[in-house]
Amino acid sequence: MSAGSDPGSPAAVLQRPHRTRVQVFVDWVRSRRPANSWPALLGLAGFAAMLVLQQLIEPGTQRLLTAVFMFVALAQAWNLIGGYTGYASFGQVAFFGLGAYTVAVLMNNYHVSFWLAMPVAILAGVLFAVLIGVPLLRLRGHYFAIATLGAAEGLREVVNNLTPITGGGLGITIPTFGDQVPTPYFGKPGFYLAFLVLAAASVAVCALLARSRFGYAMVAVNEDQEAAGAVGINTTLVKVVAFAVSAAIVACAGALYAFQQIEFYPTDVFDASFTVLMVIMVMIGGSGTIAGPLAGAVGLELLSQFLRVNLGAYNQLIFGAIIVVVVVFFPQGVVNYFREALRSREFSVLGNVRRYRL
Amino acid sequence: MGQFLQAAAYGIVQGGLLALVAVGFSLVWGVMNVINFSHGAFAVTGAYVAWLMSQRFGLDPFLAIPIVAIALFGFGYVIQRGLINLIINAPIFLTLLLTFGLNLVILNGLQLLFTSDDRTIDTSYASQSFALGVVNVPYGRLAACFLAIVITVALALVMTRTRLGHAIGATGMDRGAARLMGIRARHIYAVTFGIAAALAGIAGTMIATVGSFNPTTTPGQLTLDAFVISVLGGLGNMYGALVGGLVLGIAESIGGLLLTGTWVNAIAMAVLIAVLIIRPSGLIGKAQYSGRVEV
Repeated sequence: MSAGSDPGSPAAVLQRPHRTRVQVFVDWVRSRRPANSWPALLGLAGFAAMLVLQQLIEPGTQRLLTAVFMFVALAQAWNLIGGYTGYASFGQVAFFGLGAYTVAVLMNNYHVSFWLAMPVAILAGVLFAVLIGVPLLRLRGHYFAIATLGAAEGLREVVNNLTPITGGGLGITIPTFGDQVPTPYFGKPGFYLAFLVLAAASVAVCALLARSRFGYAMVAVNEDQEAAGAVGINTTLVKVVAFAVSAAIVACAGALYAFQQIEFYPTDVFDASFTVLMVIMVMIGGSGTIAGPLAGAVGLELLSQFLRVNLGAYNQLIFGAIIVVVVVFFPQGVVNYFREALRSREFSVLGNVRRYRL
Repeated sequence: MGQFLQAAAYGIVQGGLLALVAVGFSLVWGVMNVINFSHGAFAVTGAYVAWLMSQRFGLDPFLAIPIVAIALFGFGYVIQRGLINLIINAPIFLTLLLTFGLNLVILNGLQLLFTSDDRTIDTSYASQSFALGVVNVPYGRLAACFLAIVITVALALVMTRTRLGHAIGATGMDRGAARLMGIRARHIYAVTFGIAAALAGIAGTMIATVGSFNPTTTPGQLTLDAFVISVLGGLGNMYGALVGGLVLGIAESIGGLLLTGTWVNAIAMAVLIAVLIIRPSGLIGKAQYSGRVEV
C-alpha cells in the first residue's frame, strides 16, 4: 500500500471531502477522551450498581448506605484541601454546620423550598471559605489546623448564641408535615438517591479537578509553595479555590443532612468528630488520590457500623485500636501502599513500617 | 469592683491549673512536632490513679502526686517508644491520627473500667477558702496554681541547666545532628513524652481535687484548652504555657462576667485566630517553630 492512500496522512486529509458538524464533533470528543478511561467507566459502573442495589435492600440498610455516601463526599472534599493542596483543615465541619443551619433557618423561618435553600447553603459555604481562607491559608502545618479548628468552634458558638434566628442551644426543626410544608420529606429511598448523587458528583468533581491543570497546581503548592510561585502559579488563588470547592461539597452534604435529620442542635452539626472522621478516612485510605478517600470512607464507615452493631460497649475501643494498627502499618495510606508495592514488587508490610520509624 | 477582683483572682488560679495541663502538650509539640490528641486522656488517667489511691488507701491527692507522676511517666515512655516512634518520619498528621486512635482506646478503656460517672477526690480543704480583702480565695485552687508555677519553673530549669534538658532541646532542633553527637533520639523522645504524660497526670489530679472529671467530656475539653494555650503562649519557651494559661484563665472569667450565654467562647476563638494571623509564634514563643512543617 502506498503512503498516499493512508487516510491519516496530510495529503489524504486535504483531499478528504468537507466534513459535517457532527463528524467534527465526534472527532473532537474522541480527541478529548483520556488515554486511560477505565476509572471513569468503573465509577459509572459503581454508580449504576448502587442504583440497582437500592431496589434489592430494605429501607434500614438504605439508611446505613446513605451515611456511607455522605462520608464519601466529605472525605473527597477534605482530600482536595488536605490531601492534594496539603493544607490540613480541622474546621471543615464549620461548612457542614453552616450548610445545615442555612437550610434549616430558610425552611423553618422563611418557608423557602429546599431546592432554593440548598444552593444558598452552598453559596454561604463558599463565601465563608473565601472569607476565612484568605487570611488563614497563609498559615502552615499545625497552625493552619488549629486556626481552622478555632473558626469552626467559634462559628458553633455564634450559632449557639444567635437564639432569635437559629434557636440557639434548643435546636431547630425543619417543618415536614402540615399544609405549610416548603418541600415534602424525601424519606429513606429519597435520601439514598440524594446522597448517592452527591457522592458521585463529589468523586467526579475531584477526579476532574485532580487531572486538570488546576490539579497539578494544587500538588505543586503541596510539594513546594515557593517553587510553585516561582513558576507562575498564583498560590493564594489555588489554595482559596481548593478550599472553596471543598467547602461547597461539605456545605451541600450539611444541607442534605439537615433535611434528613429534621431536628438537630448546634452540637450535632458542628461536631468536631465529623472533621476528624474526614481526616482519618482520607489518611487511612491514602491522601492525594481519588480511590483513597473513597476506600477509606466506605471501609471505615462500614467497619464502624459493623462494630457498633456487633460489639456493643467495646466498639469504640476496637475502632480506636484498628486505627492505631492501620496507621502504624500503612502510614502512607492503604491505596498508596498498594500502588507503591505493585510498582516496586516489595510487598513486605514490616519493610513498610521500617521506612517511617525512628 | 469587688466582682471584677473576684473574677480576676479566680481567673489567675484557674489559669495556673490550665497552664499545668498545657505545659506537657507544648513540650511535646515543640520538641517532636507531634500534636498529642490524647493529652487530655493522659490527664484523666492520672486523675483516676489519684482517685483510686484516695478511695483505696485514703491517700491525700497532693501526696499521691509522685505515684501518679511515675505511673504516667512509664505509660507515656512506653507509648512513645513502642508506637509513636514507629511513624515519626511519616507525614505530620499521621501522628495526630495515631494519638486520636490512642485517645479512643484509653478513654473507652477507662469508661469500661470506671463507668462514665463524674468523679471527684474529696479532701477537707479543697472547698474551703480564705478572704483576702474583698476576694475569696479557695485553698485547693491556690495550691494547685502554686504547684503549676513550681513545676513549670522546675521544668524550665531542667531544660536549660541539665544534660537531659540539653539533649531534649538539641533533638528538637535537629534530630540528625543530635544523633551524630551521640544522643539516643528514640530514648530522648520517649523521655520527653513520658515527662509530658506525667505533667498531664499531675494536672488531672489537681482537676479532680478542685472540681470533677469524667472520661467522656473532660479529656476533649482539656486537649482543646492545651491546644489554645500552646498557641497563645508560643512554642520553644517553657514559660509560654504559663503565660498562655493565665491569659486564657483571666480572659474567660472576666469575659464570663461581662458577656451573656457562651459568647465568651466565640470571643476566645476570635482572639485565637487573631493571634495566629498577627503573631503565629505566640506571645513569648520562638519564631522558628511557627514556620516549620516537618520535624
